[in-house]
Amino acid sequence: MTPDLTTLQPLRPTLYRLAADGRSLDFLFAQCPQCRQLSFPANAPGCMHCGHAIDASAQVARPGGGTLLEYVTLHVAMVPGLSAPSIAGDIRIAEQVVEEGVIGVADESLLAPGMALRAIAVPLPSGEHYGCHFVPAGAQGATA
Amino acid sequence: MSGGNWLAGNGGVYVVGIGLHPYQFPSDTPYTQLGLTAVRAALADAGLAWKQVQAAYVGTTSIGMAAGRVMLRHLGSTGLAVTQVENASASGSFAFRQACMEVAHGISDVVLAMGVDKHGDGRRAANKDGLERLSDTATIPAVKFALMARSYLREHGGGMESMAKVAVKNHGNAALNPYAQFRKPRTLEQVLASPRVAGDLTVQQCCPRGEGAAAVLLVSGQALARLGLDPARCVRVHASAASSERDETRYGEGPIDLVRDSARAALEQAGIGATELDLLELHDAFSVEELLYSEAVGVCQPGEGAAYLERGDSRIGGRCAINASGGLIGMGHPLGPTGIGQVAEIVRQIRGEAEGRQHPAARWGMAHMIGLGSVAIAHVLGGTARC
Ligand SMILES: [Zn+2]
Repeated sequence: MTPDLTTLQPLRPTLYRLAADGRSLDFLFAQCPQCRQLSFPANAPGCMHCGHAIDASAQVARPGGGTLLEYVTLHVAMVPGLSAPSIAGDIRIAEQVVEEGVIGVADESLLAPGMALRAIAVPLPSGEHYGCHFVPAGAQGATA
Repeated sequence: MSGGNWLAGNGGVYVVGIGLHPYQFPSDTPYTQLGLTAVRAALADAGLAWKQVQAAYVGTTSIGMAAGRVMLRHLGSTGLAVTQVENASASGSFAFRQACMEVAHGISDVVLAMGVDKHGDGRRAANKDGLERLSDTATIPAVKFALMARSYLREHGGGMESMAKVAVKNHGNAALNPYAQFRKPRTLEQVLASPRVAGDLTVQQCCPRGEGAAAVLLVSGQALARLGLDPARCVRVHASAASSERDETRYGEGPIDLVRDSARAALEQAGIGATELDLLELHDAFSVEELLYSEAVGVCQPGEGAAYLERGDSRIGGRCAINASGGLIGMGHPLGPTGIGQVAEIVRQIRGEAEGRQHPAARWGMAHMIGLGSVAIAHVLGGTARC
């Protein structure tokens, strides 16, 4: 049974928050006042495209997700707390913004480059936080 | 200066002495012992005394503040200038570049460039920038390069064997190098059967953790005769080029553009074409990098990296011996020393002193390094003071 995610806090509050549907994530970008492009994360001290200084007033929320560019299975736990195997992927989350994310599917056969992904909240073992997984845009929920 | 090349200043810059402490798995050996072994070997190789060295640049990532002075005082407190240089995997290479600048600009005639390191805790500035990341593995090179490897295999359709063969070649070269961390040849079957780390990369296609030291002595062309050095053993530095990442033009192309631009700048400065290189030491921390960077440097055509290796063009005795030392995969990658070790290998080869792994008629060599996929540096060495 899926816990009520609205009772949990985001593990990375500067990056995302729970969307209105209580399951998806909205990503927090900064929209540059100079070039109007989106930067990620929102609290970066400069626009990643033109270098213009940005502050909290530039923050905008957008539905979290994007296009899957590449993915691999991590066969060993690369960092403490990471379970293995897991799947890491590069996702284009906005124009000219590529971020590595955790792909929440059981195995790579469910993925293909160019696939649309959406970001969902997944409850973490601590019982206090939710994290971010990317799943195929058509999927109903996370498997991981 | 001739031809506008700043490295022609002060009569040119020559590597006159090389020395290493073998790269090895992490141990209790103090870094001072590693480093002094390499420096003493370089002094002996050159036939110079410590008191003749006017400045020292020390590349290191994980030892701590002022490592150079703490170590070098055991050779005698001569009052020389000591500078510590840190730039991730490229720390030693950037120490070498600083030493070249000091000689070429006539500030000093005899300068030590060295690298020494112990395996550290991997603390990175990228983890202290106050920014959160969607994935905890976002700054781990093995993941980045596994993604790059997957894209390479997807695009080139070579199969996992094509990049595993890089490890076979480089472990084979390392087995012939007394300073290498790994001294065993590996078969393709062994490389492929070793445990998988990330994506298609197996553990034998990834560089090991380690420690060690490498040192070179640089002397100006003006001072070679005065110091009574053997011109046949003094190898000239013709180019030094450094750069950092630009916005990538296409997904995954960032590191490749970085290598291409820095290599091209170095080749232009040296006045040679990439296909004239007899030796190329490059950053093969992960096997796929050698395929990608051999194309980016230009020793082979774009998309031809795997075929170049398959044909034997990159083996010792081939068209251009790539990672004759064993590279990062075979010789090891202790970080601080790695770039200096590349230079030492090229000097040894050009002198004709690489016993057991000598590339025939080696004249031109490039040492190319990248640091955390975001800074790049290339040096071209060629010929001796006798030519
Ligand atoms: Zn901007």
